[in-house]
Amino acid sequence: MTAPRRGNLVTLALLAPSLLSAILLLAIPILIVIAFSFAEQDTYGGAKFGFTLTSYRELFQAIYLPIFLNSLQLAVVSTVICLLVGYPIAYFIALRAGRYAGLLLALLLIPFWIDFIVRMSAWMVLLGRNGTINSALVGLGVIEQPIRMIGTYPAVLVGMLYAFLPTTVLPIYAALSGLDGRLLEAADDLGATPLQSFWRITFPLSLPGVMAAILFVFVPAMGVYAIPVLLGGGKSIILGNLIVQLFLDFRNIPLGAAVSVVLLAISSVIIVCYMRVLRSVEEARV
Amino acid sequence: MRKMLALYVPAATLLGYVFLFAPLLVLVIYAFNGGRSTVVWEGFSLAWFAEALVDRGLRAGLQVSVIVAIASAVLATAIGTSAALAVVKRPFAGKNLFSTLVIAPLVLPEIVLAVGLLVATVWTGVPLGYGTLIAGHVLVSIPFSFLIVRAAASGLDPRLDEAAADLGANGRQIFVRVTLPLLLPAILSAFLLCAVISFDNFVVSTFVSGVGSTPLPIQIYAMLKTGLTPKINALGAMLIAVNVLVILVVMGRYLKTIRKPS
Amino acid sequence: MKNWKALLASVSLIAFTSGASAAELNIYAWSGEVPQEIVDDFAKETGITVTFDTYDSNETMMAKLSAGASGYDLIEPSQYTVQVLAKQGLLQELDHAKIPNIGNLGAPFKNVSFDPGQKWSVPYIWGTTGLAYNEDCVKTPPTSWKALWDPQYEGRIYMLDNMLAAYIAGLQVNGFDAGTTKAEEIEKATQSLIEQKKVLGGYNSTNYGDLLATGEACLVQGWNGSIAQVMATNPKVKYVIPEEGGSMWIDGFAIPKSAKNVEEAYKFIDYIMRPDVAAKAADLSKSATVIDKAKELLPKEVVENAAIYPPEAALMKADFILDVGDATKLYQDGWTKVKTAQ
Repeated sequence: MTAPRRGNLVTLALLAPSLLSAILLLAIPILIVIAFSFAEQDTYGGAKFGFTLTSYRELFQAIYLPIFLNSLQLAVVSTVICLLVGYPIAYFIALRAGRYAGLLLALLLIPFWIDFIVRMSAWMVLLGRNGTINSALVGLGVIEQPIRMIGTYPAVLVGMLYAFLPTTVLPIYAALSGLDGRLLEAADDLGATPLQSFWRITFPLSLPGVMAAILFVFVPAMGVYAIPVLLGGGKSIILGNLIVQLFLDFRNIPLGAAVSVVLLAISSVIIVCYMRVLRSVEEARV
Repeated sequence: MRKMLALYVPAATLLGYVFLFAPLLVLVIYAFNGGRSTVVWEGFSLAWFAEALVDRGLRAGLQVSVIVAIASAVLATAIGTSAALAVVKRPFAGKNLFSTLVIAPLVLPEIVLAVGLLVATVWTGVPLGYGTLIAGHVLVSIPFSFLIVRAAASGLDPRLDEAAADLGANGRQIFVRVTLPLLLPAILSAFLLCAVISFDNFVVSTFVSGVGSTPLPIQIYAMLKTGLTPKINALGAMLIAVNVLVILVVMGRYLKTIRKPS
Repeated sequence: MKNWKALLASVSLIAFTSGASAAELNIYAWSGEVPQEIVDDFAKETGITVTFDTYDSNETMMAKLSAGASGYDLIEPSQYTVQVLAKQGLLQELDHAKIPNIGNLGAPFKNVSFDPGQKWSVPYIWGTTGLAYNEDCVKTPPTSWKALWDPQYEGRIYMLDNMLAAYIAGLQVNGFDAGTTKAEEIEKATQSLIEQKKVLGGYNSTNYGDLLATGEACLVQGWNGSIAQVMATNPKVKYVIPEEGGSMWIDGFAIPKSAKNVEEAYKFIDYIMRPDVAAKAADLSKSATVIDKAKELLPKEVVENAAIYPPEAALMKADFILDVGDATKLYQDGWTKVKTAQ
C-alpha cells in the first residue's frame, strides 16, 4: 500500500465514528424537525407533513418579539458574568496552583454530580425570605426586613452562573495550561510588568479557550428554561420555555419546530463567528 | 498596584469556590435534619440516609445514571478525540464543514434534539431504553470532548512531531509516544466533563429514556411534585462523599508519582 | 482496555436481557400517586415482574405515547388526557369482564362525563385545584380567587405554571365556567391574568408547596395533593376551595394500544380496585380514593382532612376540566399573551 493511500485510510478511520453519529443522531433528527416546521397541525397534537408557512407567519408576530429579546439579553449578560468570574479561576488553576491543579479541577466538577434540581433547591434555601442570606443580613443589622430575592432577575443570574461556571473554566484552563511558562519568564526578564505580559502573551494565547467558553455558555443559555422558572418565578418567558410550552403543553409541533429552526439559525451565526475568530487566532500564531 | 493584581486572582478563585460550595454545605447540613423539611432545621438525625438507601426509585435511578454516564462518556470521548485529531493533524477537504457538524449538537436547543431523536427512534423501530439513552447522551457530549481535545491539540507545537520523525519514529510511534501523552490531560478532562454532562442531563433523558431506564434527575424531578424531603439531600451528601473519596485516592497516587522523580 | 470492554458488555447485557422472564408488566404513572409498596405487594401476590416508571405531567406522558413504541402496558392519564389519547386512537377499549372489581367504584365515578361507560379508562384517585395560604402572613382566611389579585401580597402570590389551571382562576374570578369555549369569556380571563402579573411572585407548579411552607409565598394556587403533603409537616398551611367553585380532577388507568402485556395490565387494574388495596394506596399517597368500600377502611383523620376529602358543599360548584376541542387554540393564544406581557 502506498503512503498517501494509507494516510487517507487513517483519516477516514478517524472521521468515521463522528460522521456516523452525526448522520444517525443529528442530521436525520434535524431534517425531521425542519420538515415538521413546514407541516400542518391537527387539533390533537398530530402533524401532517406538507408545505405551509403558517407556523413561520405566526412566529413573526409582534407577540413573540419580547421572547427573543429576553433570551438574547439573558444569554449575553450570563456569558459576561461567567467570563469575569471564570477567567481568574482558570488562570489560577493553570498557572498558580501547581500540583494542586488536578485537585481544584476535580473540585470544580463536584457540584455537578448533585442533581440539578437539588442544587437549585439549595439556592432557594440560601436566597429565600427566611433563608440563610436574609437571616444573616438581618442578624448583622444590615437590613431590617428580609428582602425578596427569589423571583428576581439577579437570582436568575446567580443560577446561571452556578450552572455554567465549570463549563467556562474548563476550556480556558485547557488553553492556559498549554502555555509555556518560559514565555512569561522571558517577558519578565525583558522588564514587562505582569499586566503587560498578561495582555501581550497570556490573554492572546488563551483566546481559543475564551471563545470556546463563550460558545459553551451563550448557546445553552439561549435555550435554558428551568433556572428562570425555579429562581426567577417564570414571569418573563424565554425561548427555552417557549419551545417546551409549544412541544409539550400545546402539542403544537409545527410551531415548536419553527421556533427551533430560528434558534438554530441564530446559533449557526454564532458558530460561524467562532470559527472565523478561531482561525484568525490560529493563523496569527503561525 | 502590583500587590493588588497579585491578590486579585487568588481572591477571585477563593470566592468562586465559596460560591460553588456554599449551596452544597446547606445541602449536606439539611441531610441531617430531623424533620421533613429541606429549609427548616428541626434537630439532628441520620434517618434520611437510611431512607435514601432503601428508596427503590432512587437506587434504580442512580444505577441507570452511573451506567449511562460511564458508557456515554467513554464513547463520546473516543469519538470526539478521533475527530479532533483528524481536524488538527490530517489534511482533508471540507474540514470546516466537518467541524461545524461535530459541534452542531451544542447549538441546537436540547429539546429539539430530544424530540428529533424520539421521532427517529420510532421510525427505525429501536425500543426506547438504555440504548437510546446512551445514544442521546453521546450526541450531546461529543462537542465538548471534541472542542477540549482540539483546543489542546492545536496548541501542540508541530515541530515536536517533526523532531520525532527526524529521530526515525513512524506515525504510530509519534502518536503513542508524543501526541497521546501530551493530550492525556485534555482527554481526561473531556471524559470527566462528558460523564458529568450525562449524569446531569435532563431534557434528552426525559424523551428518550424508556421502560426501566429512568435516570436519577428524572426520578428526582418527579419527586418535586410530592415535595422534596431531606432524603434527596442525604443522597446528594453520599454522592459528594464518594466523589471526594475518589479524588483523594486518585490525587494521592498522582501526587506520589510526580514526587518520586523530583 | 479490557475493563471498559467488560463494562460495555455488561451494559449491552442489561439493555437486551429485559424480556427474558415470563410474566411482565410495565407501568407508567404519576409520581407519588401509586405507592411503591402497592407495586411490591402486587408483584409478590401474582409473580409478575413489574417495571414501574413515573412522569410529572400528562404532557410528558403523551409525548412519549404519541411516539408509538413506548413499551408501556399501563398508564395513568387525567380526565382530559383520556379524551385526547382516545381521539388520537392510542388507547385500547377496556374489556370489563376482565375487571371484576370495577363494581366497587363509587357512584360519582361510575359513569364519568369524560369517558362514558368507562370505555377507555377506570378512575383511580381524585382531587381538586384550589387556594392555599400560610397563616403567618394571611390573617383573614381567603374565600375567593380574588385573593390571588390582592395587592397587599404583592410579590408573594404564586400561580400554577399550567395553562388549564391558571384559566380556572382567571375564568371563575370573572364568574365564568372554567371549561368555557366562548371566545369573549376566554379573552376577559386573559386580561385578568395579565393584570394579575403585577402582584405575582411567579408561576410555579413544582415546588410551590415548599415556597408556601417557608413563607416565601403567602398565597398560592395549588393541587390539593401537594398541599396535603405540606400540611402534614406545617400546620400553618391551609387549603380552601374558593367560593367560585375551583375544579376537580380524576386520574385513572388506561391501556395503550401498543401494550404487549395486556392480561397483566388488567390484573393490576383489578388488583388496585380491591377495597383493602385501594385504601392502602390512598392512605400512603395522601389522596382520595374512588372506591367507597376503601374509604370506610381509612383512618378517621385521613377522611376528615379537608385537603384530601373536601366537604361535599364545597365540591358542588367545582368545575371539571375537559378537553375543549377547537377552543384549545383560544386558550393557547391567550396564555402566550399572558406569559409574554411585561
